[in-house]
Amino acid sequence: MIEYRQVYKQFDHPVLAGVDLRVESGEMFALFGPSGTGKSVLLKTTIALITPDRGDVRIEGESVYFGPDGALDRARRKVGYVFQHAALFDSFNVFDNVAMGIPEDVLERMPRPELAKKVWEALELVNLEPGEVLSKIPSELSGGMKKRVGIARAIVGRPKILLWDEPTTGLDPINTAAVERLIVRLSDNLDVTSLVVTHDIEGGLLICDRVAMLDQGSLRFCGTPDEFRRSDDPVVQAFQDRAAAERALDMEER
Amino acid sequence: MSTSARSPSEIGAVRRWFGGVGRGTELVFDHAGSLGVLAWTVIMSLFRLRVPRKEFLRQIYVMGIESLPIVFVTGALAGIVTSQQGGYQMTGAIPPYVLGSLVAQTVVLEMGPVLTAIVLVGRVGARITAELGTMKVSEQIDAYHSLGRDPVILLGAPRILAGLIVMPALVGFADMVGILAGMVAARIDSGLGFESFLYGARLFWHSWDLFYSFAKALVFGGAIPLISVHMGFRTRGGAEGVGRTTTDAVMFMTLTILILDAMFPPLLLN
Repeated sequence: MIEYRQVYKQFDHPVLAGVDLRVESGEMFALFGPSGTGKSVLLKTTIALITPDRGDVRIEGESVYFGPDGALDRARRKVGYVFQHAALFDSFNVFDNVAMGIPEDVLERMPRPELAKKVWEALELVNLEPGEVLSKIPSELSGGMKKRVGIARAIVGRPKILLWDEPTTGLDPINTAAVERLIVRLSDNLDVTSLVVTHDIEGGLLICDRVAMLDQGSLRFCGTPDEFRRSDDPVVQAFQDRAAAERALDMEER
Repeated sequence: MSTSARSPSEIGAVRRWFGGVGRGTELVFDHAGSLGVLAWTVIMSLFRLRVPRKEFLRQIYVMGIESLPIVFVTGALAGIVTSQQGGYQMTGAIPPYVLGSLVAQTVVLEMGPVLTAIVLVGRVGARITAELGTMKVSEQIDAYHSLGRDPVILLGAPRILAGLIVMPALVGFADMVGILAGMVAARIDSGLGFESFLYGARLFWHSWDLFYSFAKALVFGGAIPLISVHMGFRTRGGAEGVGRTTTDAVMFMTLTILILDAMFPPLLLN
């Protein structure tokens, strides 16, 4: 379970203005919102990649910011983070990149064959052929493959929570659909809580149990996909219309 | 109208001036604080033996071995130019062998450490800032944090430690090359024999000078990677941000080297 309590963040301008949100255990949750409304910032506050100015985040009941010593480390161990552009380490090959997903103390004690098995399994889970990619460096991979390696790195340590930051950005429709299927399958198979920040509303509504919408740093909507579709909030409607128009334009261009 | 009355534009200018001073001061303290925290983290990681060995050895190779050619050229040219200009200024009233002392002292006390440091600012410092800056803007640094790893220990400490070890070795190499090149140049330009040159060099030589040279090397060797790592981790704003931060880092490092260099004589030569 992830709980955001009155999270505030300001850079040059206010980005998050007191966000309260609760994602239940085992839930698949999508966070929508126009660009620049703080979706990724909120996601990053979960494990202190960005520190909020005020407020708190609790993971499985323990405060990330005000908990006892080691609370942040414990939070990070429970969470797998999938970055928007994969954020693979340039100088490492795929094997080393994925192996980094295993906590440091566990990795130091782990026999090499066991590590190889774990990395192999993680790559298979994201539909990559381990034998083909293990020794490649990120610059030798396609965008879709990089994203999958990033996902493999996030899941190899068997986290309880997966945070997805725009997982389908920059992918073609085929890869987008494949990654969406992957999100659902991994969330089910690994029995994790998933919080997906996405601009792909249709995809989010299709795969998630609940969705929320951020607008101007505050939570504008929170409910089921059906409630979102039927919402009579003019801001939510306008957002849906704009997203539908962009999607149509995108399809037309293709 | 009273002479003490000020127009709104004058008041605005004064406010802006004080605002600028305030922001500048805040920035200086911000950098100083971050550098202090970075240095402390690196020192603690050394004591806890947490510096990754493989990366440390790679940095020794990149900073040290790969810098040898440029340090050789710089050291040789420093020795040659010092010898040529010294020879030009020598008059009949000064014994020619003094040129040996002039070259040796100038190279060891000043040219060797400072020119090597300036070369490393461009070759190593800029590279580190650009490398870490790119990692920052492509979220690789965030990825380290998200995986429970400390990028300061994994990326910063090996570079800073390597700088501390490599720089004195490079300065020693530059000193040696500079003196030898100066000796050859003195022979060609001023007709001063090797023995006379070495006699002059030994006559005014203090062992302390070598310590002074290595002390400078050690300080510069710590300052360059420390500042470049610090600036790399502060990078923001995509490719343009990486370029801007790298330029700032080179300026910051060059100024720091020159300021530290000016602090050495009153501290260690008096």
